Amino acid sequence: MSEPTARRRILVDYRIRASRCAECGQTYFPPKSFCNVEGRGSRMNYVDYFNSKGTLVSGSIIRKPTNKFLYLGTYLSGIVYFNDGGVKVPGRITDLVLPEGEADVDSFIGRGVIPRFRRLYSDGSDGLVYYSSLNFSFDDDYYTYREYEKAKPSEATTRPGIVGYGVYLPKFRIKNEEEALGVRERTVPFADEDTTTFAVEAGRMALTHAGIDSLSVKKCFVGSESAPYAVKPTMSTVSQALLLGEEHEGGFFSGGIDSQFACKAATDLFIDAAALVAYSPFAGEYVLVIGSDNSQAARKDPLDYTVGAGAAAFLFGRRDVIATLDHYVPYTSDTPDFYRRDGEKYPRHGGRFTGEPAYFKHVVTAMRTALKASGLTPKDIRFVVCHSPNAKFPLQAAVEAGFEPQQIEPGLIVKNIGNLYSGSSPAALAAVLDLAEPGDRIMMTSYGSGAGSESYVFTVTKEIEKKRERSVPVKQMIENERRAYVDYDTYREWKELV
Amino acid sequence: MNIIGSMISSLVVALKQVFHHVGTLKSHRPLRVAQDLPVSSKVEPYAAIIGAGRSSFGEQWYKDPEKLVMEAGIRAMESVDSGLRRRDIQACYLGSFLYQATNKLSLLPGHMARELGINIPMNTTEAACGSGGSAFYNGCIAIKSGKYDVVLVGGFEKMTDRSGKIIDDLMFAADPHEFDAGFTFSGLYAAMMARYIHDYGERDNRCVEALAQVACKNHHHAIGNEYAQFRREITVEDVLKSQPIADPIRLLHCSPVSDGAAAVILARPDLAKKYTDTPTYVIGSQQATDDVSLFTRASLTGIKATRLAVGIALKETGLSIEDIQIAEAHDCFTIEEAMFLEDSGFYEMGKAWQGIYESYESSKGSKHIPYVKDGASIIVNPGGGLKADGHPVGATGVRQIVECFKQLRNEAGNHQVEVDGDLNLALCHNIGGTGGIAVVHILARDI
Repeated sequence: MSEPTARRRILVDYRIRASRCAECGQTYFPPKSFCNVEGRGSRMNYVDYFNSKGTLVSGSIIRKPTNKFLYLGTYLSGIVYFNDGGVKVPGRITDLVLPEGEADVDSFIGRGVIPRFRRLYSDGSDGLVYYSSLNFSFDDDYYTYREYEKAKPSEATTRPGIVGYGVYLPKFRIKNEEEALGVRERTVPFADEDTTTFAVEAGRMALTHAGIDSLSVKKCFVGSESAPYAVKPTMSTVSQALLLGEEHEGGFFSGGIDSQFACKAATDLFIDAAALVAYSPFAGEYVLVIGSDNSQAARKDPLDYTVGAGAAAFLFGRRDVIATLDHYVPYTSDTPDFYRRDGEKYPRHGGRFTGEPAYFKHVVTAMRTALKASGLTPKDIRFVVCHSPNAKFPLQAAVEAGFEPQQIEPGLIVKNIGNLYSGSSPAALAAVLDLAEPGDRIMMTSYGSGAGSESYVFTVTKEIEKKRERSVPVKQMIENERRAYVDYDTYREWKELV
Repeated sequence: MNIIGSMISSLVVALKQVFHHVGTLKSHRPLRVAQDLPVSSKVEPYAAIIGAGRSSFGEQWYKDPEKLVMEAGIRAMESVDSGLRRRDIQACYLGSFLYQATNKLSLLPGHMARELGINIPMNTTEAACGSGGSAFYNGCIAIKSGKYDVVLVGGFEKMTDRSGKIIDDLMFAADPHEFDAGFTFSGLYAAMMARYIHDYGERDNRCVEALAQVACKNHHHAIGNEYAQFRREITVEDVLKSQPIADPIRLLHCSPVSDGAAAVILARPDLAKKYTDTPTYVIGSQQATDDVSLFTRASLTGIKATRLAVGIALKETGLSIEDIQIAEAHDCFTIEEAMFLEDSGFYEMGKAWQGIYESYESSKGSKHIPYVKDGASIIVNPGGGLKADGHPVGATGVRQIVECFKQLRNEAGNHQVEVDGDLNLALCHNIGGTGGIAVVHILARDI
């Protein structure tokens, strides 16, 4: 695929966009400008199947792939029907590790499938990366299907906050032979996943949870330290895939930016998102903030036993708020505890700076100051979540700031998913929001090397109950029986591909 | 057109009126009376084939693609009984699929003008695996139009030069979305085969065996074919234990990657006997198209373009599929031969595997293994088809014509088909991609 080809095709391929005849309903993929039945005078509308469920009608296990797909080894490609054959598309089944030897294609025919935004291939390490939604997972596999339905929004309130969230954790895991600072197992990206695909999937889940129209999201921030491109925003791919903002001639009336501040690249923008939706010239209803990382670590480095992969997305707005953003305290210093120089593949620790003068100093200071500024005591807060490079640090920091272990424990999902870097504290926040009840207060404190922290205090509203059934709880993903384990070499291979 | 050309053209028209070539078809079955036929039994041929030649198929390491075409072309010219000079050829129609990518060539007419040493009109047709058949179709139209008296039709492909990238290149003949779904060509046909087995196989292992028997039969037919890529017997067990390529397709379900070329000389039917006493006539020539993408088509278990092209070709000749004695079917993968048997109407939809199985089991050991049903039989791919003769993509459609020409003239040597009575009617079925195009020709020795 060339750059111009890719640019022309993404509108169709990111959304599985088809055209439908307004007169007879005949639908075409790839989209056509006129209906074969009604003729050239027909009126055609676009419809997309990005959030639809389909059926695999046939396929083949590809063992001698084209050169572009050699990186996937053996895989299943198929033909998928939506609407009982009203729309037909080809697609690759992803996250499927086929057993060695014989496999029966017939056993896959007739199974339900869900589109997944994944990498197709890339033009080498210095070329473009191509994505598409014409990849599918089985609907009875790891990923839970939630229909995307737009709910009627309520009146705007004065206090902005979280209106929806989504956490994307890949299906695959690696177990640590011995717990590494409390981390037992970690999420592993499949070979066709990267920071961008995590971000799109988390964003899709947040939109579904919020039940809002993606066209009214006018800003998107994506925080990461492992984006596929050093220069070229992940955010524009996410916006294109999620249809953020009104569409106009192949582009969208929305903005945003990628951000980088180690593991707090996303969370520091929560306050900006909340501020924007309350700022009249912005004229947008919602802002999407995503923290996404395929957390990097050199082979056999201590980090190599704690890093995970995934993303957490939060939508901020003033309608149907599930948790108001009440307090924000940032704290920053030039502390070189952890860094990656331009052109280097893996980050490094700055020796003695890690720990006390870095993580603990910033996290605890932000937490204590937030308590003081808000006039709250630890007892006024039900859940505390912190950036979780491992399971020990956040526990120690919370206790140091005056909290009880049981307040931090529910958010210590790091034990089972590893350190998601930019997605770490927001994923933990999502995990406790899954459990929270109206009136509960939550303190989230992030940390980014280099270094800084910010503490937020959120108050949960009754709206949270209304949206429960549209979310996929983090615990459900962590404990999903369909999660699959890989060995160390596979984990490294897939991670390196990204 | 110059004055001489104009005079020749006028003469052609006059001669056509004098020698208006009309005949009645001879079939190996008792001919039905004229009023029973769907159309008139009087057939005006499109063109006559007066010569045919080909190269061996397989890896041709030392031969450039243009040399392969020349080899086939010269053989075709030299096969013309009364002789044919280069200057008798008034136009060339060439079919090839991938030469721009595989051989880094373009402007094929210029290459051929240099090789042949003549400066006549030449046209190149690209229709993926249907390139050769489409070139032949164009040659027939050219003769039928009255513009030319004699044309050369050639097809070639030189695939082995590109061995590391040929799997990718073949996907040029599919929809880019199919490429991006990770499909290969064998994968697309495997999706058809999987669905066919799912819909019609009745969980009967004989269906799977039948789709292997197609390969065994075609290898068996190629034993006597001196030009064939594979001249060895294979068993059902060999097929079913061969390397999986794109499940359920295994290596021995697939036609090979090949180099090769084929050529035929077409002449105006009324002039044909000037060149040979035994021309073969093209009495049906049809092409039909369909979506390039398998996924958008109505059916995964049949080829609409085949149904259309075969149907119209039979209709225009007043024949039924049961009248056809030998057929060259496009067996790029064995499932395609099964689908041809259904799309052509020889077997009912979903029943071909049963016909294949019963035919194969009942004819083991015979020189050719015909497909049989009540009151009719047809020998498919008497020289081994794409599976065993080889599949240099652009050459295939022309190679099928070469094969039938030789068979109908009783010149096929060790793999000559022997039937009770005269061998008179043959059908060639050449498709492109996964069914985006089908070209069907019906040849008759006597009309």
